[in-house]
Amino acid sequence: MDFSDSTLDDHLFGIDTDENPIARLIRAWIDERHAPDLLVFQAALIDDLMQKLHEQGLVVSALQSDESTTEEEHLRITLVKTDMERAKFLIRSYMRVRLHKIEKYAAFILQTTEEQQKLSNAELVHAQRYQQMLANHFHATVLDALPESTHALDQTFPDGTSMITRPDRDHPVFVHARVPCPDVLLPDGDKITLEQGSIHLLRYRTIDTLLARGQVNLV
Amino acid sequence: MFGDQALALVVESKRSSQTDTLYKYNDQLVRNVQLEIRTLQSDLQKTVGPDINALTPSQQVLCASTMYHIAIRRNKRCLLAYHAHRLERLKHLYWSVGGALPHILTDTEIRSKLSPHEVDFLRSYNASVSDIRNEVLDVLDLAQGITVPPRDMRVNVVVVRECGTVQTESGTFAFKLGQRYQAARSHVEHLIVQGYLEVVP
Repeated sequence: MDFSDSTLDDHLFGIDTDENPIARLIRAWIDERHAPDLLVFQAALIDDLMQKLHEQGLVVSALQSDESTTEEEHLRITLVKTDMERAKFLIRSYMRVRLHKIEKYAAFILQTTEEQQKLSNAELVHAQRYQQMLANHFHATVLDALPESTHALDQTFPDGTSMITRPDRDHPVFVHARVPCPDVLLPDGDKITLEQGSIHLLRYRTIDTLLARGQVNLV
Repeated sequence: MFGDQALALVVESKRSSQTDTLYKYNDQLVRNVQLEIRTLQSDLQKTVGPDINALTPSQQVLCASTMYHIAIRRNKRCLLAYHAHRLERLKHLYWSVGGALPHILTDTEIRSKLSPHEVDFLRSYNASVSDIRNEVLDVLDLAQGITVPPRDMRVNVVVVRECGTVQTESGTFAFKLGQRYQAARSHVEHLIVQGYLEVVP
C-alpha cells in the first residue's frame, strides 16, 4: 500500500480508502467520461492495475498449460479471465476518453502548464505530436495557398471567440456527494451544502475542486 | 463571391455528419475558396491603398475594409472547419477498425476519397498512437472496441468476408466463407471490427 498524496488527502477529507482498485477505476472512468475538461491522470492506480493484470495473465497461462489442472479449476480460470477482460475494457475506455479530450484540446493544453500536469508523459508527447501534425495538415491543405497575413492558428478575435478550443467549464454535470460538502459557492454568490449521498445538477466550475479531492463524483 | 463557396464546404461537412458517410475530398471547391480569399485580399489592398497610413481613414474605406476582413476571416474559418471535420471522420474510421491503418489505406473505395495530405496525416497519427499503444501492449490493446463491454470470453462467429488462414492466440483458423467458428473474443476482435467476421448468437 503506498501512501501517495491522493490517499493522504483521502484520509484528511474522511474518505474511505479501503475500496478495491477496480471500484476506484470505475469511479475515475465515470468521472473522466462526464467531466468537460481533462482530469488528473490516475497514474498510481493504472500502474498498479496494469502490474496486477500482467501478473495474473502469467499465472493464468501457467495454470492453463499445466496438465494437473482439474476441470473445475479450468472453469475458475475462465471466470478469472472474464474478469480480467472487463478490467481491461475499463482501462481501455478510460484511456481512450482521455485521448479524445487531449486531441480535442491539444492547443489549449500545450498553452497552459497547469493542464500539462494532468497528463502522463506518453499523453503529453502525443498532445505535442498531434498539435504539430494538425498544424502541418492545415498549412499544407489550406494556409500555404493563402496570403501571409492569414496564417495564424491561435488568434483571438475582437468578438472574443478564439481559434483555440477550450473545455466548457460551465457545462452542467450531475454531482453525487460522497461526503457532506458544506459551503459550496454557486456562481450567483449563494452557498449550499451537498448532503452525503445527494445528487445535484451544477456547473462543472463550482465543483471541480471537490471532484479533484474525491469528495464528490460525477454520475 | 463573399463566402458562398465556403458555405458549400460547410454544408458538405454537415451532410457528411448527418448521413454518416465520408465524401470525396472536394479539391476543386477548396481551391476556389482559396482563390476567393486571395482575390478578396488584393481587393482589400486596392481599397485601402492610398489610405494605409491615414490616422482617420474615410468612412467608406473603413466600411469596405471591414467587409473584406470579415469575408476573408469567414472563408478561412470555413476552410479550416471543412478540413478539421474530415480529420475527425478519418480518426473515427481509424479507431473503428481497431487502429489497423493498412486496412484503411488498401481499401480502394476509401482511398479514392482521401487527399494525399490526409493519407500523410493518418500515417503520422498512426505513428503517434502506436507509441502509446505499444507502451501497454503486453497487457491490453488500446485500439480494441470500447462500445460494448465484454460479456463472454468466447464468441461464435461466422465468416462474412474471405480472409484465408489466420494465426491467432487460440490457434490457427482456416476461415472459410459462411462457416461458423468459436474463438476467444479478444483473439479475433480485430477480425470482427475489420468486418471479416460477424458475431452470431
